[in-house]
Amino acid sequence: MNISILYGTETGNAEMLAEDIQSELEGDHDVSCQNLSDVDPMSLVPEHLYLLVCSTYGDGELPASAQPFAEAMEAAKPDLSAIHFAIFGMGDSEYDETFNHGPKRLAELMLAHGATQIGERVAHDASGPEMAEDLAFPWAEEIISQAEERLGAAA
Amino acid sequence: MSGKIAIVGAGPSGCYLAQSLLKAAPDLEVDLIDALPVPYGLVRYGVAADHQGTKAVTRQFARVFERQGARFFGCLRLGDDVALEDLRAAYDAVVLATGMPVDRPLGIPGDDLAGVFGAGRLTRALYDHPDAETLPELGAHPLIVGNGNVAIDLLRLLAKDPDELAGSDLGAGPTDWLAGAGIESLTITGRSPAAAAKFDPVMIKELAKLGGVSIDVVGTGASDEPDAVKTLDALASIAGHGSGARNVTFRFGLTPAEVIGSQGQVRAVRFTSDAGDETIPCTSVLTAIGFDADPDLPRDALLESATDAGAGALAPGLYATGWFRRGPRGTIPENRADAQALATHILDDLTADPAKPGRAIFEGRTGLVDYDGWCRIDAAETEALPEGRCRAKITTREEMTRLASKGVTTG
Ligand SMILES: Cc1cc2nc3c(=O)[nH]c(=O)nc-3n(C[C@H](O)[C@H](O)[C@H](O)COP(=O)(O)OP(=O)(O)OC[C@H]3O[C@@H](n4cnc5c(N)ncnc54)[C@H](O)[C@@H]3O)c2cc1C
Ligand SMILES: Cc1cc2nc3c(=O)[nH]c(=O)nc-3n(C[C@H](O)[C@H](O)[C@H](O)COP(=O)(O)O)c2cc1C
Repeated sequence: MNISILYGTETGNAEMLAEDIQSELEGDHDVSCQNLSDVDPMSLVPEHLYLLVCSTYGDGELPASAQPFAEAMEAAKPDLSAIHFAIFGMGDSEYDETFNHGPKRLAELMLAHGATQIGERVAHDASGPEMAEDLAFPWAEEIISQAEERLGAAA
Repeated sequence: MSGKIAIVGAGPSGCYLAQSLLKAAPDLEVDLIDALPVPYGLVRYGVAADHQGTKAVTRQFARVFERQGARFFGCLRLGDDVALEDLRAAYDAVVLATGMPVDRPLGIPGDDLAGVFGAGRLTRALYDHPDAETLPELGAHPLIVGNGNVAIDLLRLLAKDPDELAGSDLGAGPTDWLAGAGIESLTITGRSPAAAAKFDPVMIKELAKLGGVSIDVVGTGASDEPDAVKTLDALASIAGHGSGARNVTFRFGLTPAEVIGSQGQVRAVRFTSDAGDETIPCTSVLTAIGFDADPDLPRDALLESATDAGAGALAPGLYATGWFRRGPRGTIPENRADAQALATHILDDLTADPAKPGRAIFEGRTGLVDYDGWCRIDAAETEALPEGRCRAKITTREEMTRLASKGVTTG
């Protein structure tokens, strides 16, 4: 399967996790990994499964590197109805009222432009006991098997 | 690309720089040199003990050593243990990332009285920095001067009840000190009006979680400007919060004019304001109004003669990043962006001279701590945890170097 991991980060935690997911999946799939700041929302393609990894900053806002992507999406209003994505969030439950609101916003933005979400949004908590990769690897496996069922292994 | 780069200061700026350099050019020899036996700078000794999520960036920094091949040279103080000229002679590039550690004084009469303490001095003591002075008596009514995030961190820590520190890494000594400090009220003053206060509104909202306090916010004024509205809304959301015994009062628009004492001890601070002079009684004055450079390093001269100070280029083969370059402002992400830009600049400039010895100049030196040594300290700090704590910091250099004792392996 063609997998594009796209990350939105402020201090680099989501970038590290995205690279870890890439290494984990590389043996079985064609995987690329890019910063959302370098991605044009008009360039997304139906042949790829998009795994978004995104943190939260400020008061429940998108991290800096996801903001240009979100702005470009709002400006260009691309039709993403052929696009499939899944999303993994990173946040901190110390910010209880806005816990993982960044990835929530990003998912809503994708959905608002017609994209199809696969699986549940899973959230890592920087104040919790788990390592992000211990949540993210099983999440990625599960997403891929769901995607293979829906899109066919040929994707 | 090959080349030997020494980064002085293993705080977030130095670590992010090493990360970026090695990502772009994995064959570089990158050495992170620090005066302390332990890495991570203010992430370990400044970021609040009850903000562990923010400290999670250290997992990235560990990778820089464990997977990207950077080396750590702890217990090497630039200026004392190694001279800048010697480093520049040994490495293709040297980067200064030593931060801004010195508390900026109030600069008013009485600011040297007993009972006036800088936020850096206090946070170093609270967070068990091995070179910290002891935790002082603050009395029942400390007054905090300053309206940045550091001031709010200090306010929150001092306002917490012992059970509100669960999950933190506040040490046993500071925990006992805090429990016995007998603080009855805390006043925090800012020079600007509330609308222009520098603290992050999210830090203010966090104060609404405090259980043992009652919060008063006095004289906030109004504004339509979006950032100011966020600040004012945050203050409004905590105004009147709680009915705890410990009163917290926010005051604005007060410029400190004089610290008043008797028998050499602080009694009050006199402020000037638009409404005239006002004297607020207190038992101690905690200043959080910024930081200055370490006077042992020629920061001003280096920045003045810099080829491109904005880009962090000081002289051929000599660079600066982080707080050392930009001054004592900005959060961890800003240091990351700064370091990433500097990495590109350094790699553009770099011409490697294979004759330069690099880290070989430290061969045979005793007393240094390498990354494995730090890992042994880290393991000792996290293996037997006291109740409600996620780390028990080793507090002295002697104990740190003893634990790290296998020393540095060069080669
Ligand atoms: C009390 C406090 C709380 C903060 N809380 C937060 C927060 O919650 N979130 C956030 O994003 N930012 C926070 N900040 C800001 C953040 O800490 C800084 O942006 C960041 O640490 C600056 O990084 P730096 O690497 O430039 O400097 P530093 O972190 O200060 O690192 C400098 C390093 O250089 C070493 N060094 C100094 N002199 C020498 C020498 N002569 N030779 C060798 N080594 C030397 C030091 O030991 C240290 O390890 C806080 C700052 C303070 C002061
Ligand atoms: C200033 C600041 C604000 C934050 N705000 C939130 C927030 O509103 N909600 C949340 O869930 N996490 C919040 N976080 C936590 C981060 O999302 C979390 O630390 C994450 O691991 C950062 O990943 P990154 O390095 O990829 O940006 C905040 C962290 C900081 C330092």
